[in-house]
Amino acid sequence: MSKPDASNDPFDPLRKLVDDVEKRIDGVANKVMGTDGFSQAMNQTQNLGLRLQQGFQDAMATHLKNINMPSRGDVLRLAESVQALNQRMARMELLLEDVVRNTGSGQASAPSGPPRTRKPPSQRTGEPT
Amino acid sequence: MSSASGTAQPDLGDQVRAAVDRTIARSIKGLDFVISGDPDVGLTPKDIIYERGTLRLYHYHPMADEVYRVPVLLVMATTNRSYVFDLAPGQSMVEYLLREGFDVFVIDWEKPGPEERHLDLDDYTFDFIPTCIRRVAERSGEPDISLIGYCMGGVLSLIYAAGHTDGPMKNLVCLTTPVNWHEMGLMRRWTDPRHFDVDRIVDTLGVVPTEFILAGFTMLRPAQRTASRIRAWDNMWNDAYVRSYRSFDRWSNETIPLAGEYFRTTMRDLMWGNKLHSGELRVSGRIIDLANIRVPVMHAIAEHDHIVPLTASRPLLEKVGSTDKKEMILKGGHVSLIAGPNAVRRMWPAVSNWLAERST
Repeated sequence: MSKPDASNDPFDPLRKLVDDVEKRIDGVANKVMGTDGFSQAMNQTQNLGLRLQQGFQDAMATHLKNINMPSRGDVLRLAESVQALNQRMARMELLLEDVVRNTGSGQASAPSGPPRTRKPPSQRTGEPT
Repeated sequence: MSSASGTAQPDLGDQVRAAVDRTIARSIKGLDFVISGDPDVGLTPKDIIYERGTLRLYHYHPMADEVYRVPVLLVMATTNRSYVFDLAPGQSMVEYLLREGFDVFVIDWEKPGPEERHLDLDDYTFDFIPTCIRRVAERSGEPDISLIGYCMGGVLSLIYAAGHTDGPMKNLVCLTTPVNWHEMGLMRRWTDPRHFDVDRIVDTLGVVPTEFILAGFTMLRPAQRTASRIRAWDNMWNDAYVRSYRSFDRWSNETIPLAGEYFRTTMRDLMWGNKLHSGELRVSGRIIDLANIRVPVMHAIAEHDHIVPLTASRPLLEKVGSTDKKEMILKGGHVSLIAGPNAVRRMWPAVSNWLAERST
């Protein structure tokens, strides 16, 4: 498919219009959204939503407690314990690797892959860096 | 479908034919566009060599017979997936570096789970990055490493570098990395501490959700998405354009959530306190002073970056203590800097050449 010739393409004015409208909308929106009032209103709306969500979470936690079921917080705490164990195991793994390396008891695996002898182009051609 | 006359005046019949052809192609390919799934991304062969929670470390299969001694580790921004470094064959920074003879590793971030809400800057810069560097050293057998950090990945790399001055870092490349956070434009306006209650957000949500992050990015250019869709329809006949559009669209939609404490610290210490710029940032009990960074540093900046404005990223070079430092300003935006046409033509070769001279 040949590339359109912009100077004669009937769609070209439309493309320019799209570019122009996009710039204008972004420009106007950025001006409005850059005001203190917008920031305040946006964050007030957000805080309202978060308060509602917090209220719902609290109500749900109370309800779950009443029916003797674990709440989201309980499950989260359990997941965090597992996460902490994972992190501790990762640290122990590193320590063990250090011990193995320092005592020389482990068979050090030779790095695989191509040789690490590549020279930069300037050195290959003899040019100064 | 070209005019046989050979003159500058195009043949009207050919033009009409081309317009009709493109219209038909738009209709046929438009149907394909609607019914087909997401494009495949991140196709360059790799191994996952380490994973823990949100952290993934990839090792890409070398493509050269002989590689530079010093391996390269790319650190992705915490808000997005790392496949923007490897969108498609021919549009992949990873593939380019591999072909140029680098041994390439990438840090990627999965969505942090609710149990990871307590992850903080300390975890990223004093645990995740050092652990990955250690794994790279084991895999490569080399003690030295070059880091390439993109956006917030650049900030993490800077904090790591300033906090580990005796570490194995040999070179540091930052890609559009914010340093003066008081110049973050609308983002700073919207997170004005007089109105923005970061504690309520983090304490209520735990992990800051994708929709929240994505809304912030979208609001910076509210008309961009619609205009991009119109341009995609206009170029529907052009397979390469459509593929690129869909890959970028997929990538921007796959924005990942942020661990709450990390978000809180970013807001308090970076956005409000501007402590990375003032040299007062304290991470893991250490003062992070960029002047302590002495390794060679390169910084690539996008001239029309609407997420990290030029004024926010430019102070990096004057802040670091390195004597060997280079800045490169490219036309383009925040994302096109790493995967757009200018990246392919200018940024990748510049980074590759700069690193090559310092990777033996």
